[in-house]
Amino acid sequence: MDPTLLTLAEASRAIAAGELSPATLTEAYLDRIATLDGELHSHVTVLRDEALAAARGLGAGPARGPLHGIPIGLKDIYKSRGIRTTAGSRVYETHVPDEDAETWVRLRQAGAILLGKHETHEFAIGGPDFSLPFPPARNPWNTAHYPAGSSSGSAVAVAAGLCAAAMGSDTGGSIRGPAAYCGIVGLKPTYGRVSRRGVFPLSYTLDHCGPLTRTVEDCAIMMQALAGYDPQDPASADRPVPDYRAALTLRLDGVKIGLVRHFHERDAVAGFGADSAPTPAYAAAFDAACHTLESLGARLVDVQLSPLMDFADTNRVIMLSEAYALHESDFRERPQLFGKHMFARIGLGAFLAAADYVEATRQRRELCVEFARALAPVDAIVSANATGPAPRIDAVGTWSTFERPSYTAPYNLTGAPALALPIGFENGLPLGFQIAAKPFDEAVVLRVGHAFEQATGFHRQRPAIAASLA
Amino acid sequence: MAEISRERFALLVEQAGLKKLTPEQIEELRQGYRFVERMARTVRRRRDRAAEPAHIFVHPRA
Repeated sequence: MDPTLLTLAEASRAIAAGELSPATLTEAYLDRIATLDGELHSHVTVLRDEALAAARGLGAGPARGPLHGIPIGLKDIYKSRGIRTTAGSRVYETHVPDEDAETWVRLRQAGAILLGKHETHEFAIGGPDFSLPFPPARNPWNTAHYPAGSSSGSAVAVAAGLCAAAMGSDTGGSIRGPAAYCGIVGLKPTYGRVSRRGVFPLSYTLDHCGPLTRTVEDCAIMMQALAGYDPQDPASADRPVPDYRAALTLRLDGVKIGLVRHFHERDAVAGFGADSAPTPAYAAAFDAACHTLESLGARLVDVQLSPLMDFADTNRVIMLSEAYALHESDFRERPQLFGKHMFARIGLGAFLAAADYVEATRQRRELCVEFARALAPVDAIVSANATGPAPRIDAVGTWSTFERPSYTAPYNLTGAPALALPIGFENGLPLGFQIAAKPFDEAVVLRVGHAFEQATGFHRQRPAIAASLA
Repeated sequence: MAEISRERFALLVEQAGLKKLTPEQIEELRQGYRFVERMARTVRRRRDRAAEPAHIFVHPRA
């Protein structure tokens, strides 16, 4: 059997049982990258020799746990010592860092193997940009379509079976958007839960690092290695880490879930016009997903929050202000190095006043308090993700992200954990929703996601390109 | 809201110290300026003077 068809958890069990070697699995993934990535463009750098050497070393050494011998990839904003890390930009086209991202250190110590660095929107915001030296990644379900971003390459590689799991980053939805459009699982953990050290920042108070995987169980395995205090990340939280896999159940009896319907049923059109209405197929898939949760024993209650636009624009003002401050010297001295989208999007930060930023942070506190109160009586909440299938990649313009609602931003702003996972298909392209919970309650998010996933089986549907090469 | 004029936007660009932009880059930013106005409207609201910013981000209690 082609070992790349196995989930991370299945491959892990096969390695532990001596039925599969890390080298065989790594070689199989590398062969797929060599065959398919000319069309998918998910990788900026492939580490064939390094990955095979690591796999052989692990094959001869003691078992390190469930990630032992598992091949993964990193979004190319994660620093990797001695390996080019471009941030998807001409500014860092030849940059070779002398340190590793803390998350990569933890994954490597847990036995993961680095297959390569994944294509990213420039500085995690500017894409898809055809003017840059790194071609934008393509959606594996239909390569004429957009995989979303900014963790584009990571999501594409996981969905197409070019790695077992990947790391992305999420400042306004950059893990959960690509997970939705590519039909996989993406987790934005709680702010402070996973170290950001050694990852190129976009916006200090909104950036989150998290995994992209094919299943929720795979996500739980990744989180077990990633979560935990990092004294060298100023935002890291010193909180105990629960056993995420142990939290997974097939039933949701006794779980109370808040349902935020007004984001997609009312706020999207009110804030952005009729073109932003969910597709009928999406609305039906969302309702069916809610019924599935009820059939698993969960009790659903409607939850009201402030309009989606309040969350989304507050997130944007903070993001653009912090990002512009970070890149201001390059905007002044060498703006021609930036790609068109990154330049224009972050460039807007030059025209926000200090008072806009302060007002946004005041509004952020109000929204966080409101969100905490809304979540107090429930265990988790469910809300929409992108409310239709992925558009064609050539239809995504500079201002697309400003012209449509961001269903993911509320959880960056509040720092709450949020999981994206598939709920169906439209025209052969995936649809998804989000499950969120109180800060540091990733275990509940994963529990609800796992029960839903096992009941529906959408994760078993793979793009045709992910079929075995044999 | 009316689109900002090229003349007025040129002043904002100068004020921001962006002296090395091409005319195309300035026009691109001008096209997006409407979003700056929208975002500012969204966050600038009447609120109690005691309402603190989330300048140190903590998870608030319900």
